[in-house]
Amino acid sequence: MTISLATPLLLLATGAPVVFLVRKRVRVAAPLTLVALVAAVALVAAAPDNASTDALALQLKLTPLGRLGALALLAILAVIVADVWLDEPAYNFFPTALGVGAVVLAVLFLTTPLATYAVLLIGLLLPVGSFTFQVHRNRSVEAAIRHFAFVSLGGTIGLAALALAASLPREQPQSTFVLLVVILYVAFALKLAVIPFHTHAALLAAEAPATALALYFGVLTPMTVIAFVQILTQSALLPSIVQLTKVQDLLLGIGGVSAIGGALLATGASDLRRLVVCCVISDLGMALVGVGTFSGPGIVGGIAIALATGASATQQLLAAGTLERRADGGPARAARAPLASAAFVAGGIGLIGAPPVVAFPGRFYVELMAYAYATWLGAALVVATVLLLIAQLRVALGLFSEGLPSWRPERRPVAGVAGALIFAALLAGGIAPDAFLRPIAAFAEDFLRALRPL
Amino acid sequence: MVLLAAVALTTLVANGATRLRPTAVAFFGVSIAANVIASSATTMAQVAVLGVAGLAAAGILFVAARDSHYGEDPGWRLWVATLIAAIATPAAFASFRTVTTEVPDLAPFTSENASAVVQVAAFWLLSSGTAILVTARGAVRTSLGALLMLTGVQLLMRYAPGPQLELTIAVAWVEVVVALTGAFLIVNERAVRE
Repeated sequence: MTISLATPLLLLATGAPVVFLVRKRVRVAAPLTLVALVAAVALVAAAPDNASTDALALQLKLTPLGRLGALALLAILAVIVADVWLDEPAYNFFPTALGVGAVVLAVLFLTTPLATYAVLLIGLLLPVGSFTFQVHRNRSVEAAIRHFAFVSLGGTIGLAALALAASLPREQPQSTFVLLVVILYVAFALKLAVIPFHTHAALLAAEAPATALALYFGVLTPMTVIAFVQILTQSALLPSIVQLTKVQDLLLGIGGVSAIGGALLATGASDLRRLVVCCVISDLGMALVGVGTFSGPGIVGGIAIALATGASATQQLLAAGTLERRADGGPARAARAPLASAAFVAGGIGLIGAPPVVAFPGRFYVELMAYAYATWLGAALVVATVLLLIAQLRVALGLFSEGLPSWRPERRPVAGVAGALIFAALLAGGIAPDAFLRPIAAFAEDFLRALRPL
Repeated sequence: MVLLAAVALTTLVANGATRLRPTAVAFFGVSIAANVIASSATTMAQVAVLGVAGLAAAGILFVAARDSHYGEDPGWRLWVATLIAAIATPAAFASFRTVTTEVPDLAPFTSENASAVVQVAAFWLLSSGTAILVTARGAVRTSLGALLMLTGVQLLMRYAPGPQLELTIAVAWVEVVVALTGAFLIVNERAVRE
């Protein structure tokens, strides 16, 4: 019996309202959410290669990258849900997580750029509900409003650019399509919070709960990077931009500024969550540089960085949440939660892109292609990596500054165990990178074919 | 021209309203005017979807207000948003319309060039929405800006090739989600203020 590709998507989409109805009974809602996510993972894993199905008149197709992205992002989502259930119960989180899971699958499987973009926009708005908490004590509402404004602005101008690009006759002056690509790029930059469009991310980092940040920076931002390259490939805009080097310079410039700016901000980060968010901004800048090189290794590296960054950011944000809760308003110290501290430090290895974790080959490819494009760009990315290393070391030393009275793990070491699971997966990917990089390479071939059609 | 004026006027009313409930009603007016302008390129099924989405979005904002006094005074932002829209609309139309450089025929009541009218209305809504969003201080005007922009996007999508009804449904869902998110934030913002 063949299972339709729409089944896991429908399972998560219909599960979300069901879980919403029972959300206040956490002991029911949380296991239901986890079961739905695990079932969706199993269905996606079991689906045949290049399976496709039609939902109304929209085509859903399972590409190798779609499968890899779906499995990785749903697994990260399941880890976050388990952490919320066992360590930091927040009943609104579970239906949101299922909604985000459905959006992840829809974005990765849809083949119509406008539909993909519309679903992406819905997905980026879903976590707003989990950003706000204890609204009388903090500025989480202001942070959520700012996020709403940035995503709405980026989302609608991007949708408008795509609709215009599809409806204008092909005999347009080339500058028209170039302008549309630039608008589309700015739209994605707004949604990804890359510098200089990062102010809402900075406020979110300070005010939103760590698990909501993990949902956004661990699942939704990697999905947005993949959606960006998929939409560029499907929208037939690429041949217009490849002929103008100034546009490529602009794309690489924004990516490079974000890579180095995010790393600079990370070195001055005053708390754990801000450090993680700044590292993510830097890594996303690097991923955009990879895509902007319009080369096979650059695209492979860019997408690999986005996925690995999502996993490592989740690991660090969950650990940061635990460390902050156990610090009771004081500075976070490893003595209160040794395993969570270890998970935080190990997550830093992934965000820096150091070997042997799977983040390394992606970063290596992007830096290699950046050097091939321009020496200053390659040097900027290396400087960004060194700055990230300094920022992570500084915070790690601060965590362990008072030493460890005992190596005995803390009670309920949920974040520590979640971090160990994620790190093990990243390590396995680093030991056998082929399984991780091959599906991305298959997509890179499609991207290059769309860039220079015969 | 009359329909374009209707879109412009309802946008100005929504932009200038100091209370959320009149803003929501004016937004529904914008939605109706936009759908009438694009009626020649819209099937009945699309009209139904768009009508329900516009009504739902306006209704959600109307209910989120909870009473007739809550809102956000635009102040000088009204004039900035209007000025930006007035400058950006012709610039966008000149940059993105069809290759022909001929001046489109815009008769008072009927138009030979429906796509040009739809594009002008779309660019007006997109630039107004952008200006409102960029200058917004709270959730009320942020929601209005986003909804106006989405109405503009719906107009532009009428001429995009592809499964029109499905794309209309997708963007209609975005409209409803934006309104729900905006309403959630409006309620929370009010709780913080009070």
